[in-house]
Amino acid sequence: MRVLKLTPDKCTGCLRCELACAYMQTGEFQPAKSVIRVSPFEGHTSYAPYTCTQCAEGWCMTACPVGAITITAAGAKDVLDDKCVGCKLCTIACPYGTMFYDPDTRKAFKCNLCGGAPACADACPTAAITYEEVATADWIGDFAHERAARVLAAR
Amino acid sequence: MPALRTSTPSRAKHPASAAAPRPGGYAGKLLRVNLTTGKIWSEPWSPEDMRELIGGVGLGARILYREVPAHVHWDHPENRLVLATGPLAGLPVWGTGGLTVVTRGAGTDGPTSTQANGFFGANLKYSGYDAIIVQGVSRKWVYLHIHDDVVELRDASHLLGKDTWQTQDLLSAEYGLSGHQLSVYSIGPAGEHLVRFAAIQGDYGHVASKNGCGAVMGKKKLKAVAIVRGTHGLAAADPRGLVQAADDIAHDLQTDPTARSLYEYGTLPGVVNLHKLGMLPIKNYTTNVSPVDLGPWEARRLREGFDHRGHQCNACGMHHCHMQVIRSGPHTGTLVDEPEYEGWSGAGWTIGATDPQAVSWLNTELDRAGLDVNEFGWLCGWVMECVEKGYITRAQLGFDLRWGDVEGARKLVDLIVHRRGLGAVLAEGVKRAAAKLGPPARDCAVYTLKGAVPRGHDHRARWHEMLDTITSGTSTLETGNPVHPTEVGVPARVDPFDGVAVAKMVAGLRGRLGFEDSLGICIFTTRTRLENLCRALGAATGWYYTVDEAIRFGRRTGAILRACSLRCGITPATEYPSTRYASIPVDGPAKGQSIVEQWEKMLDTWYAEVGYDRKTGKPLPATCKALGAEWLAKELWGRSR
Amino acid sequence: MTRHLVIGGGTAGMNALRTIREEEGERSEITLVSAERPYSRMVLPYYLDRSIAESHVFTATAAVLAEWNVKTQLGRRAAALDTRAGVCTLDDGTKLAYDDCLVATGSSAVRAPVPGADGRGVHSFWTLDEARGVLAHIAPGSHVVLIGAGFIAFTILNSILALGARLTIVEIAPRILPRMIDPTGAELVEGWLRRHGVAVRTGAAVTRIEDRGGRRRLRFKGGRDILCDVVIMATGIKTNLEWLAGSGLRVNRGIVVDERLRSSVANVYAAGDVAEGRDLVTGEPAIHAIEPTAQEHGRVAGANMAGRDATYRGSLSMNIVEVCHLDVASFGAWDDPGAEAFTAVRRERPAYRKLLWRGDRLTGALILGRSSDVWTTNDIGMLKGLVQSGNSLAAWKEHLRGNPFDVKPAFIASRTTATLLPLTLLGRASKAPGTTPVAV
Repeated sequence: MRVLKLTPDKCTGCLRCELACAYMQTGEFQPAKSVIRVSPFEGHTSYAPYTCTQCAEGWCMTACPVGAITITAAGAKDVLDDKCVGCKLCTIACPYGTMFYDPDTRKAFKCNLCGGAPACADACPTAAITYEEVATADWIGDFAHERAARVLAAR
Repeated sequence: MPALRTSTPSRAKHPASAAAPRPGGYAGKLLRVNLTTGKIWSEPWSPEDMRELIGGVGLGARILYREVPAHVHWDHPENRLVLATGPLAGLPVWGTGGLTVVTRGAGTDGPTSTQANGFFGANLKYSGYDAIIVQGVSRKWVYLHIHDDVVELRDASHLLGKDTWQTQDLLSAEYGLSGHQLSVYSIGPAGEHLVRFAAIQGDYGHVASKNGCGAVMGKKKLKAVAIVRGTHGLAAADPRGLVQAADDIAHDLQTDPTARSLYEYGTLPGVVNLHKLGMLPIKNYTTNVSPVDLGPWEARRLREGFDHRGHQCNACGMHHCHMQVIRSGPHTGTLVDEPEYEGWSGAGWTIGATDPQAVSWLNTELDRAGLDVNEFGWLCGWVMECVEKGYITRAQLGFDLRWGDVEGARKLVDLIVHRRGLGAVLAEGVKRAAAKLGPPARDCAVYTLKGAVPRGHDHRARWHEMLDTITSGTSTLETGNPVHPTEVGVPARVDPFDGVAVAKMVAGLRGRLGFEDSLGICIFTTRTRLENLCRALGAATGWYYTVDEAIRFGRRTGAILRACSLRCGITPATEYPSTRYASIPVDGPAKGQSIVEQWEKMLDTWYAEVGYDRKTGKPLPATCKALGAEWLAKELWGRSR
Repeated sequence: MTRHLVIGGGTAGMNALRTIREEEGERSEITLVSAERPYSRMVLPYYLDRSIAESHVFTATAAVLAEWNVKTQLGRRAAALDTRAGVCTLDDGTKLAYDDCLVATGSSAVRAPVPGADGRGVHSFWTLDEARGVLAHIAPGSHVVLIGAGFIAFTILNSILALGARLTIVEIAPRILPRMIDPTGAELVEGWLRRHGVAVRTGAAVTRIEDRGGRRRLRFKGGRDILCDVVIMATGIKTNLEWLAGSGLRVNRGIVVDERLRSSVANVYAAGDVAEGRDLVTGEPAIHAIEPTAQEHGRVAGANMAGRDATYRGSLSMNIVEVCHLDVASFGAWDDPGAEAFTAVRRERPAYRKLLWRGDRLTGALILGRSSDVWTTNDIGMLKGLVQSGNSLAAWKEHLRGNPFDVKPAFIASRTTATLLPLTLLGRASKAPGTTPVAV
């Protein structure tokens, strides 16, 4: 299965992925509704994108009381809008913080790999996000660990 | 933190959308803040105004013209501080966090248009506003808090005396938000103490620096503007077309030979390249020949000489803005913003400093204190020269200050921002300080008679920028460097020391920058054909600006700013460089070239080409008409004309 | 052919059924006993506010059960369990013999012992039938009083408001949500509710509910009666264990189960609200009467019944309610008095974080923030992950003490993702709903 591979050293924190994602998800340029999110490390510098790993357990999927989360042909866990009631159980079941909820539509939403052509990977100007046939992994933990050392040392 | 006054802009105030629908790319509202009364309100602006004013400097110039009359000087409560974005801000075109500050500035007491980036513009748009217009003076120090529909003035007493980075750190911690979730533009101690060249700095390294806009903010007792990344969406008339235009611009920036080095290294290559042309100002215009090997100043080495990290603005793919860590010297380990060319120049070459590590550190110190790096450079270089020549004594200064002494320069920063000792004189800016000290010190100072200073170049080898700086309605570059000049019918090359040819070129290029600075986009990501920018604007808004219209728009904006400038008492009589600014280079590639001899001819040519009256400085009625501003002709010349 | 008996058609039972079919090596016989047609209690609030049709609440239609080859005893309650004989007797006398069985009979609502609590116009909101009853009685403009300001009440609060009713919340305790958040959080929620037009009366003991010309009058110990149209009692639930008297199962507060969800009788499993299993955080026995625990219990029990050797690390207490677009969530041992606690409040947003520590591990958390704040939703999941993983946050503890909001870098830099990624409940990737094999 192809997954979103994140190479945090390349990320500059421009948040273009968030814009592209929101556009795919909502049709508008509204990063508040992006399911890929860029975070800072090392204070106000060193950024990295973060999104659903499409984990094997699929905590969101198994938690859903109405079976509204399924696995798409691209291998992504995806929310079926017509089944989702908006109970938010998936948002507390997901231990990665990558399930979201849209108060406007009252539905949960998450990374669905854009049906197999992820917009974030296309939009990233530095190839920090690529779509590859690799095993999913904790892409940014080591990076964050190393970069965060400065923040912690500064305290 | 209790709000002094809370007012949530009311949606009910907005007229029903019976009129034309809001063009894409716009948030649709202008946020008004009256610091005297504490009133905060939002007002819609019409699709017609959007089309005519676009945003940024276009919108700001109109507000300045309409709302800041002659008697409203920079420090008058009624002065406006416009923080404007544009229709591309917050969209996926590279470098679209844009902010334009328009006000009547403290440097010249005339119009100002100065840009900065980061995420401010994007965050503001996602909050639902295209611009913030501040008026009045607060009784107590406040900062403006914006989080979607919640807009408040909050007590800023705990932020007083803090530098701009500390201010953002403190507010981030206070809000519990990190990274780009919160954009903060603030003034440092310089703005608080009304230093005439105080800047507004935001998002760790982005500076709206010109003409003392930070002093205006300080006068209003507005310490900062903090915007939480809003949750509203921005629509585009043709989103697919917008993404395509953005991708084309990106491709162009990455591959076009004229933009490519900027894409790779930002403005870093400037140092070595400009040195080759005699444009690198060394030691306050006393030489143009580097005393040191420039190897370590090659762009690649400037970047890789530091532990560095990309620190891009909204949606930007340029390898331009970076953060870096000082690698050697007393400040080893300090995290700083990688200087622009202007920083290497102002915090370095101009003051004779040639160690990149030291210069980089000083550059961020200036950003943090909230000073314009250009004017500081001219001021500090001048003081150093005066110390060397005995025009300023060590006793006057309180310490020794020799060429290249970066630690000493930092002490000078403290004197200036707190207006201590000689700092009180220096805080008035180069021109006023030079006048105060009088000759012979005065004649060593680089400034314009309007009271501004050049950017970080030696304009004695870059005549087009000297002419542009001096004739501009905003006292700093209004036309800028040529970008694809042939697209607007200007020759690709002219003899740089042929005053008439240079003046024609400057006049011929006018308009582009005013258009760019209205879009909410960075100046460096607009280095593509104007046609591409028109496409992006069109896809965002649904209007199809032609290149001609874009130029006309920019020139119209320039004419309005010129009218503002005249109203502020800035006349053609002030359109001259200082003695040193116009002196003859003694060495280097431009050795012996004298702009003074050609100056009058250059002004004559420029005035004739742009269609302004040589005597009064006013845009001629025919010019106004051609620019689609007949109303301006009437107001400038009366109905009889 | 192995005969499995699943007693209870709620979340635990249905997950067990499905998992048996997913995991078994050879075809078995499954019988489901359920007093009601299987539906999801979690979604009843959305049925109440009419955003979904009634048909949406059912988790397995007759066709699906048939497809799964499940024999059903719907509308029947288990009345007795003879664990020695391996026979379950239903309320109509039917006897079902089993090789192994799962007890997943859940809980029921209980009403406060107040005169008039069983009268007309006084409802519970627990079962589908009760939901139908409430729905039939609320009209726009109705004045609804919720007695009890706990989790159950809060799950239907938005629905009642969405129906255009006026709402008053009455709580006997001095504050709302006593078992879900701490006093600071409760105060923020209470303020938020008032801002959204909900009346809140705490420390208020209802002494009697009377009928007044078709309306309800609530009398209070301290006076100030309330006249209203509908009363909903959300005063608590109790586990359905009475029928197991004499079964020989070891029952403490619930049926004591081991790490395989097995009771004291080897071929009897228990799952969900009735099971007292291991608490993931404390390691102590606990009842977590929540949907995720029922689901996990059901799947682990189902896997073991199918012959797999599946062990369970324990359940994590977690809850979330949305109150007029304000999210309130809690994880783990959020009320542990022996824990070290870091808190941060931003009243104006409002936002609240409480991080509870045992040493350098996060053992509990409270989080409150607006639903539209993406970083709130983000932190909700990450706090769950931190508590669930039990990762050491030694390097981050001081940072989080200074800024309890800055959870994200701590989560990521402590490589919590790497700890969590290999974790699966059943030692394999989960299957999507609807992909359960019909037959082996």
